[in-house]
Amino acid sequence: MPTEYLILVAGFIIGFYMAWNIGANDVANSMASSVGAKAITVRQAILIASVLNLLGAAFIGSHVTDTIRKGIVCNEILNDPQLAFIGALSALLSASLWVSFSTWKSMPISTTHAIVGAMIGFGLIAGGVEAIQWLKLASVVLSWIISPAFSIVISFTMFNFIKRRIISKTNSYEQALRLSPVFVGLTMFVVVLSFLFKTPLGKRLSVGTPAAALIALVTAAGIGLAARWLLRRIHRNRPADDGEGIFRYIQVGTACYVALAQGANDVANAVAPLAVIYFFVRTGTVGDQVQVPLFLLLFGGVGIALGVTMAGRRVMETLGTRITHLSNSRGFCVEFAAATTVLAASKLGLPVSTTHAAVGGVLGVGVARGMEALNLRLVYEIVLYWLLTLPAAAGTCMIIFKIIQLSLS
Amino acid sequence: MRLPFLSLFVSSPFEGLQEHAEKVKECAWAFQQAMECHMAEKCRRFEAHRQDVIKLEREADAIKRRIRGHLPKGTIMPIDKFQFFMYLKEQDGVLDAVEDVLDWISYRQEPGIPPELTKEFALLVDATIDPIEELSKMVAEARKYFSSFSNRKREQVKDIIRTLRLKEHEADELEHQLKQKIFHIATDPVTVFHMIRLAEILGSITDHGENAGDMMRAMISK
Repeated sequence: MPTEYLILVAGFIIGFYMAWNIGANDVANSMASSVGAKAITVRQAILIASVLNLLGAAFIGSHVTDTIRKGIVCNEILNDPQLAFIGALSALLSASLWVSFSTWKSMPISTTHAIVGAMIGFGLIAGGVEAIQWLKLASVVLSWIISPAFSIVISFTMFNFIKRRIISKTNSYEQALRLSPVFVGLTMFVVVLSFLFKTPLGKRLSVGTPAAALIALVTAAGIGLAARWLLRRIHRNRPADDGEGIFRYIQVGTACYVALAQGANDVANAVAPLAVIYFFVRTGTVGDQVQVPLFLLLFGGVGIALGVTMAGRRVMETLGTRITHLSNSRGFCVEFAAATTVLAASKLGLPVSTTHAAVGGVLGVGVARGMEALNLRLVYEIVLYWLLTLPAAAGTCMIIFKIIQLSLS
Repeated sequence: MRLPFLSLFVSSPFEGLQEHAEKVKECAWAFQQAMECHMAEKCRRFEAHRQDVIKLEREADAIKRRIRGHLPKGTIMPIDKFQFFMYLKEQDGVLDAVEDVLDWISYRQEPGIPPELTKEFALLVDATIDPIEELSKMVAEARKYFSSFSNRKREQVKDIIRTLRLKEHEADELEHQLKQKIFHIATDPVTVFHMIRLAEILGSITDHGENAGDMMRAMISK
């Protein structure tokens, strides 16, 4: 079947392009607070983002992929190999077209929404209204509302805590050092938990929930205390003037945390449709039991990492010059909230937008009076483009589907 | 590039506010020069100093317009936008009053200030210079307060506000005494009118300073 192999190659190319785009643009979300707060340099940000996006994509990312792959469109359609094959290709193509267009026009859209929209379009044209699993779709759409709200609540609470307990104190440096295990530990706790649950690696270890919680708790406490010891050592000779100096170091950790979460969540946008094409060419069916193979996730991760490396510099430099008034404690709150939201959602198999989680994190600090000026207009714009992305991506996907179907028959 | 995250961050109005306060401070210096010149025997540089103040006032106005123009609807700030603008208005009011003083003098510069009144005038001018200079310090401290929310910083801001209030009171007293003396000394109605009005505008500089302090007090309230 030469045509199908041709399409497989096309799928890989487009999937790679999609992943590249995620890396090139959305990396801003994960690194903005750190670069803006001058916690890390542009070069460090690119390195962290590319390596950890790759790791996150390959080792934590499989779950969302499944949801996009077979959660939204019902199985009957997907079980017809021919339909699923063309559908996946057109979904991938239309989503990347839409992403390219919005990158060119600087529209604040989410790659996640684009791919989900495209899958809806595929379902509609291939099987009509009943082919869409509306209930599942509703839960996905609901998660798009809940996830920024969740992020706002986390960062609001976190910033208020930091405000009250650390930065408003006269001895803010000592306070920050004293409480640093809490911040580092909390971050580690979520990371370890997501590693243990439902990742291929964690499954092999097969630990139960209580055991996993215990392991996460112990690891988190250990690393948290070790971090404080390390921070003390770093500052032994020249204590920082205030708590912000401590958060500068902690922020390096949370920057990694966001990059990891982003890779886990966003890789699905490129890899999920690709997985359908791949399975079809390999096995002639689109099995719904089969796991997305590691190498496909790795492929997506490499695409993201390359996008970061190639286009990252310009994006980060823009960030560094435009975000001027962001202190380290605030950056920490933003990143912690965004990454926790994204990681939690991605563990639940909900494809949420990393951008929206990050925006939610910033807004939470803003509501807690922590930002000198935030423009809320973006929120309206996001809602507008959000409502626009779904039908636009769906429509494009329908057209492309028809074209491919006609040209193949 | 498609960076929605970035469009959240608008340029901070505090930066502009600080810049504006610095302009006010610069103006204080030119104003002092102009007044000292005017009170001296032979003054030739008065007009030059007045032009300096006018230029600074124009620049400060541009900053003010920029702040107002770059704060879109739906901007989240640590403070109420209305209070912020009220504060800016008062800070700008200080400058306007300074310019008014010099303008008023320029209408009738020739006779100068009667020698009997020079001392009182000098005292009143001195009392107005301090509050003008305090403003930039107050803005800087307030900005630090909004970044750390520390009580210590808040107390420092409150101290400056207190100073502004005291200075206003002091200037009021001086203005009062000066006016009394003017009526005792001068008999020429034009001179009396010119001097009385001058004393009043001088006094209004500190009024604006005190109002700015009051608005700042509202801004830093918990």
